[in-house]
Amino acid sequence: MRFAEWLLGLALRNADEREMILGDLHEQASHHGTAWCWREAMAIAAHAAARHTGILDHTQTSGDFFMKTWFKDVRYAWRGLHKRPLLTLVVGGTLALGLGANAAIFNLVDRMVLRPYPLVDPDRAVLLAETGPRLEFRREAVSPANFLDWRARADTITHLAAIQWWDANLVDRGDPERLGGFMVSADFFDAIGVRPALGRGFVRDDETFGRHHVVVISDALWKRRFNGDPAIVGRSIIVDGEPHQIVGVAPPRFVFPDGSQIWAPISYDPKQPPRRDARFLTVIGRLKDGASLEDAQAQMAVLADRLARDYPDANRDHGVRVYTLTQGMIDEGTGPLLSLWQASAFVVLLIACANIANLMLARAAERRREIAVRLALGAARARIVRELLTESLLLALVAVPPALGVAWLSLHAIRVSMPANIMRFVPGFESLGPDPRLLMFTVGLAVLTACIFGLVPAVQASRSGVSEGLKEGGRTSTGRQLLRRGIVMGEIAIALPLLVAAGLGVIGTNRFLNGPQGYDPDGVLTMKLVLPNRVYHAEAAQRQFIARAIEEVGAVPGVERAALINNPPASGGNSSVRAIEIDGHPWPDPKNPPAVDNRLATADYFTVMRIPILRGRAFTSADREGSTPVVIVSESMAKKYWPGEDPVGRRLRIDTSSWITVVGVCGDIIHDWFLRRNNPSMYRPLLQTPTDYFGIVVRTAGDPSAVAGPVRQALLRVDPNQPVFEMMTMRRQLHERTIGLQYLAAIMTTFAVLALVLAAVGLYAVIAYLVAQRRHEIGLRIALGASAGDVIRLTVGQAFRLTLMGTAIGLVLSVALARVMEAALLGIATSDASVFAAFAAVLMTAALLAGYLPARRAAAIDPMIALRAE
Amino acid sequence: MAEIYLGELEQIVLLAVLRLGEQAYAVPILDQIAEQTGRKVARGALYTALDRLETKGCLRSRVGEPLPERGGRARRYFTVTPAAIRALKASRVALMRLWNGLESIR
Repeated sequence: MRFAEWLLGLALRNADEREMILGDLHEQASHHGTAWCWREAMAIAAHAAARHTGILDHTQTSGDFFMKTWFKDVRYAWRGLHKRPLLTLVVGGTLALGLGANAAIFNLVDRMVLRPYPLVDPDRAVLLAETGPRLEFRREAVSPANFLDWRARADTITHLAAIQWWDANLVDRGDPERLGGFMVSADFFDAIGVRPALGRGFVRDDETFGRHHVVVISDALWKRRFNGDPAIVGRSIIVDGEPHQIVGVAPPRFVFPDGSQIWAPISYDPKQPPRRDARFLTVIGRLKDGASLEDAQAQMAVLADRLARDYPDANRDHGVRVYTLTQGMIDEGTGPLLSLWQASAFVVLLIACANIANLMLARAAERRREIAVRLALGAARARIVRELLTESLLLALVAVPPALGVAWLSLHAIRVSMPANIMRFVPGFESLGPDPRLLMFTVGLAVLTACIFGLVPAVQASRSGVSEGLKEGGRTSTGRQLLRRGIVMGEIAIALPLLVAAGLGVIGTNRFLNGPQGYDPDGVLTMKLVLPNRVYHAEAAQRQFIARAIEEVGAVPGVERAALINNPPASGGNSSVRAIEIDGHPWPDPKNPPAVDNRLATADYFTVMRIPILRGRAFTSADREGSTPVVIVSESMAKKYWPGEDPVGRRLRIDTSSWITVVGVCGDIIHDWFLRRNNPSMYRPLLQTPTDYFGIVVRTAGDPSAVAGPVRQALLRVDPNQPVFEMMTMRRQLHERTIGLQYLAAIMTTFAVLALVLAAVGLYAVIAYLVAQRRHEIGLRIALGASAGDVIRLTVGQAFRLTLMGTAIGLVLSVALARVMEAALLGIATSDASVFAAFAAVLMTAALLAGYLPARRAAAIDPMIALRAE
Repeated sequence: MAEIYLGELEQIVLLAVLRLGEQAYAVPILDQIAEQTGRKVARGALYTALDRLETKGCLRSRVGEPLPERGGRARRYFTVTPAAIRALKASRVALMRLWNGLESIR
């Protein structure tokens, strides 16, 4: 009924009439059901549309002739579709898949790139980033001191607000919980244009040090943790070991940025002035009325210049860029990746179009006689082209509803397979789903598609000579057959790159997911902890927690050994990189010292993860505070910085610390898929350099998930207020970490399979058509003594030549696409010749099979029947 | 007053409305037509015809009470105007005249 209401709301301008009709439908809907209601509503809407355009009104003498005759075309085409249900079904189905794939990807692009945030007036919200001398970070974060200066002086942008990552540990009735939150400056909610649903947002006074213990919580947290208590504002909760007053509740679904659940004001201790050289803030704001993005950029550039002159140490070569918020927040990899998908989806649609164009050519060939007669009787060619185009258009539009169904199903599948703790970092993902924009896109694409597959056959058909078309038994001219073969060749040529791209994606993903990792991910449980700074500020307290945690967790039955590391593999933690100096190997450019991954691990880490120690020794419990600082380097690091030497016993220095002795060399691991395998890394004892942020890895005797509960309890015994988060098996961690790759592989594979099937079907149709055309000739050959083998060879040969040419072109395209993939995927896809060869073989096999089926039918032609049919 | 011309469907609709009397709204009108003529008129066509007949001054309509089984919407009841009755009679007379003398046709 809602659909009927919507549809009739569109079709009927007269409210009284609409109400009457809807009432009538409602009254009868109980007898007939929903499907009946839909059908009736559509019929009524069509009638109403016809009436408004004056097509059906016979009493009206004047009127638009074009529209009237066109409506006739539509009805004629509609009848034509009804008369050939199989053709309609094949074309509609093919198009539904092609359009549906495009619609689904469009929705991803639309929701994730074009408008990921539900913002008021999104074009006025801006993001400000520093630009630094290091080119690899195009958008640098902002230092607190620079932000404060910007805020004081900018007058083209209002509500400048800084945002800073915050892992909040909440303690309040029940287990302690780690919340994803953000520290923000007072204007944050105004910059976004959001008003808290309960209570207030932040004010400048909240930034005053000492009065800054206030928080705004998300709607979800409020409902989940506090049962939606309406009197929540004013209540005090313990966050990071200190009481905080709840001053507001954010409106439902507001979780900006990154699924934030709690916000607190950024405040600076007057005793520790904000730093200028450490850049970690994200800064947003709102353009002042009348100011454009360019105005803001110009003013900020002047400001940044002055700051660079005033503070050369921290700000030399640092500028500022102003982006729209949507543009600025987006992950730089998302755009190219989604473009790749959209392009692939479009290629699938093109292949579908090619198939349909071929079918339409065949259909036009059937109607040659009829068209010739009409031309002979004086019909205008334009009229005939229009009629055929109308038929194509109708076919395309009929495919829109099923295409939307396909899109909905795909989006549903994409959404449910995304792990929740990844989803929060993908803005717009939760809102995936059909909307009016998607409908418009799909209809628009359908019309475009109709033009692509309808135009050539329509023009072809109308161009054929009258006398030729009227000739009895006239065969299709060679020209048209060339066209059809060319189309199939093109299909094969563009299907191959898709296959190769999908293959590279699958191989790469599989390698990272299931291939050797350098450590043993089976039988390991991982989790993360963030010690609140207020409670664990002193290194001694951190050390004590570390020691007790290992002790308690190690004692849990089923746990073989436990270890702590600042940054476990595949955990997605911000990889900490440190600049190093090698003793005896001065770096040629001291300004840009080499940097390696910095890992801080407890003694048993290598045993727990089963990372081999290749030379020297592992850490021991003697490597603790006060003892000689030691480091273990990865094999790749050893090779890179001590080429041809044994690094054990050598020394290195981090920043300007004291010298650290290398005591061992360990195997390389894949820390994160985009770092690849041989990423130089060094490991230092956690007890020598304790941190407040780390993961715990636990080697278990049996199923790691079985000990999850006891391990959590053990950690609560160490500190009952300390939450543990992202507890999962190492295998699960790998799965979640590579989810993007898996999406890539799955989506590309879907497209590739679609392309392969469509191309094979296309080839089949053309060969079958050629066989039908040559029936007479083949019959003659058989009559003159050709064997079944000869006929099959003849026909398959034809298919083979087409496939071979298509594959050759496709290979060239594949090499080009693989280059793009390699660049876009940071080396996951390494194209080697065997992949190309394998997929070319797959494509050729499929194509030859498609050619063989009609060939067998050709061989079975009874010459007597074939020749008599003339 | 100008002569009103009535098409076949219009005559059928008007006659159905007349037969239904007080209770003539779209749903029973469709049923009545189907029952008496065995013809299944498209719903859209009926609404178009009702609308046009009202514009031509052949029908008048009044809105009833909102009903729950109609989703809170009211029925619209139609009555035939005297002008339309005259036009119906005129076309009947015209047809009868034309039929005169053709009784032998089966």
